[in-house]
Amino acid sequence: MNIKINHIAKIEGHAGFMAKVINGDVKSAKLEVQEGIRLIEGILVGRHFKDMPIIAQRICGICPVVHNLTSIQAIEKALKIKVSVETINLRKLLEWGQIIHSHGLHLFFLSLADFLDIENDLILTKKYPTETKKIIQIREFGLLLIKIIGGRAIHPLTNEPGGFKKVPTIFEIQELIKKGKETLSLALELGEFFSRINVPTFSKISEYVCLGKEGEYAIYNGDIISNQGLHIPLEKFENNFHEIQKPREIIKRVQSDMGGSYMVGAIARINNQHDKLLPKAKKYLKELGYKFPDYNPFHNVAYQMVEIIHFVEESIRLLNTLVNSNLENALTKEYKIQEGSGVGAIEAPRGTLYYRVDIGLKGYVKKVNIITPTAQFLSHLEDNAVIYLSQLPNLTNKQKEKKMRTLIRAYDPCVSCAVH
Amino acid sequence: MKSKLKLKLKLKPKIAIVSLTSCEGCQFTLFDLGEKFLDLMNKVNMVDFRLFEDEKDKGGKLDIGIVEGSPLTKENIKTLLKLRKRSKLLVVLGNCAAMGGVPEIKNYQQGKATIKQVYKHIQKISNPEIREVNNFVKVDFVFPGCPISGEEFLKYFPELLAGNIPTIPDQSVCIECRKKGNACLLLECKPCFGPIILGGCDAVCPTSRMGCQGCRGLRPSGNINTIHCVLKNMMTNQEFEDATEIYGLRDDL
Repeated sequence: MNIKINHIAKIEGHAGFMAKVINGDVKSAKLEVQEGIRLIEGILVGRHFKDMPIIAQRICGICPVVHNLTSIQAIEKALKIKVSVETINLRKLLEWGQIIHSHGLHLFFLSLADFLDIENDLILTKKYPTETKKIIQIREFGLLLIKIIGGRAIHPLTNEPGGFKKVPTIFEIQELIKKGKETLSLALELGEFFSRINVPTFSKISEYVCLGKEGEYAIYNGDIISNQGLHIPLEKFENNFHEIQKPREIIKRVQSDMGGSYMVGAIARINNQHDKLLPKAKKYLKELGYKFPDYNPFHNVAYQMVEIIHFVEESIRLLNTLVNSNLENALTKEYKIQEGSGVGAIEAPRGTLYYRVDIGLKGYVKKVNIITPTAQFLSHLEDNAVIYLSQLPNLTNKQKEKKMRTLIRAYDPCVSCAVH
Repeated sequence: MKSKLKLKLKLKPKIAIVSLTSCEGCQFTLFDLGEKFLDLMNKVNMVDFRLFEDEKDKGGKLDIGIVEGSPLTKENIKTLLKLRKRSKLLVVLGNCAAMGGVPEIKNYQQGKATIKQVYKHIQKISNPEIREVNNFVKVDFVFPGCPISGEEFLKYFPELLAGNIPTIPDQSVCIECRKKGNACLLLECKPCFGPIILGGCDAVCPTSRMGCQGCRGLRPSGNINTIHCVLKNMMTNQEFEDATEIYGLRDDL
């Protein structure tokens, strides 16, 4: 009997799920996209590059910041614009804020109820009021970083090619540091709660892909690396990873030259670079007791908790650097508009986000390509759904459906991003 | 005790929040209100909000149906029609639902050029024109913006709960912008649609030194041609037209 979910709740965007089962054999599993096409890459063509971050960030309401940052990175490469250290630091803080609030939303409000067998988050919040308060405050720190630096939490305003239209005051940075310190304690307490949550055991050897850079937990830039020995410069990304459009499908899945499906996101980053985490995150990871390499996709949720701790720590560190610098240096300076192509990649909450843009002589966009994390891990998710489902023969269909929802949500798919 | 609880639940207004094709940023704006949003959730009987629950919507009448996004797919349109049918008041969130949003830029481009930039195989992919929600159903109230303002939602939602349709005052973005003590971008020769656009956003864009691009739509007494005259010496006609496309203002040109 087939397993069908008409509409998966608690994910970003709209999708259903269908697994074909014949005589107990799971033949296939597929996420059925129920999103319309917005053609963002298409509508950008012929428009001025300055509109690109404004339009592209509207691909996603949960991770607009990373679309803003990555499109600007690609544009600045195309136009050969150099920006100040202060600009880069402010942008990194926007990204840390992005990861903190997106992970916070997912691990608590979208995924947690699955592991506690609760069907409605209102019940969850009533049963765990202290934890709810903590996650809301943690998310608020992430949102505040973006609001103070970016001007608004959803669809930020200040960041543009060349720098910032407006920069925060030193007083605002000091306030953020204070708030960051409070948030770190809360994150550690919530981490303690999460370490006691039981998740299903399941394992399948996987290729984990993310950015990699000497000496740091790479998020904002780096080469493309994987646990199977891949190490290529960003400029070669599209030589190794190919978008495939299957008939009738509106998500262009990404295939790796290494063969087979692969995974991106928190679990990939932690597997590939956990030795570069900051001390408190590293200590917390050790206490979780997971062994590496870790191929259990359900652990993605716990690794998001590790990353929240890491990025709160990292925010405090970076804010402390900024407090002693001249933020005016981050204001946009004049630059020359010229013809060129550029690529950018940043680790979004859900994995590597890639942008390529070709800009013409007068600054109008000639071509754009956007490759999102969910388009990259979709095949991996479906492959694992087949295997996991095959390991659950003695459950009722309803129970199987529930397990599938739990698995899908652990991946934290963003269908809006994947279709764009 | 149980029947008392049931009675209380019955008295709470029934609400559903539904999203069509969109970035879902308007829903997340509500969600990001944190404790204030949870308080609100406890004051109503939330029948359907898929960011929050796996439970199936049991159907039945609603006091307020809330919808964001573009009715793009057949399924989207069906969802919208159904929501209208069961709701006393239909409230739309944000620029996509109200004015077409950024996906509407496609409508101003040539035929299949846009989709061909994205897909190799375009057969069997549904690619309709973008049409605002009010082309399909009657809309009772719009929370404007891209995304909506969470504070504005908190301000007017109680009125809607009481069954009244609020009116957003006919004031330009400039009123709030001046109150914030911002230097006027227009005086610096930086394009800004502020004078003709409906205020209520706390002038969030000009406060970040980003010119207003009109995501909240024209104010009732706003005229796009007057601003065109003002902006003529700051941008070319092409640039002006492009700017009005971003949030669907061009329909009013």
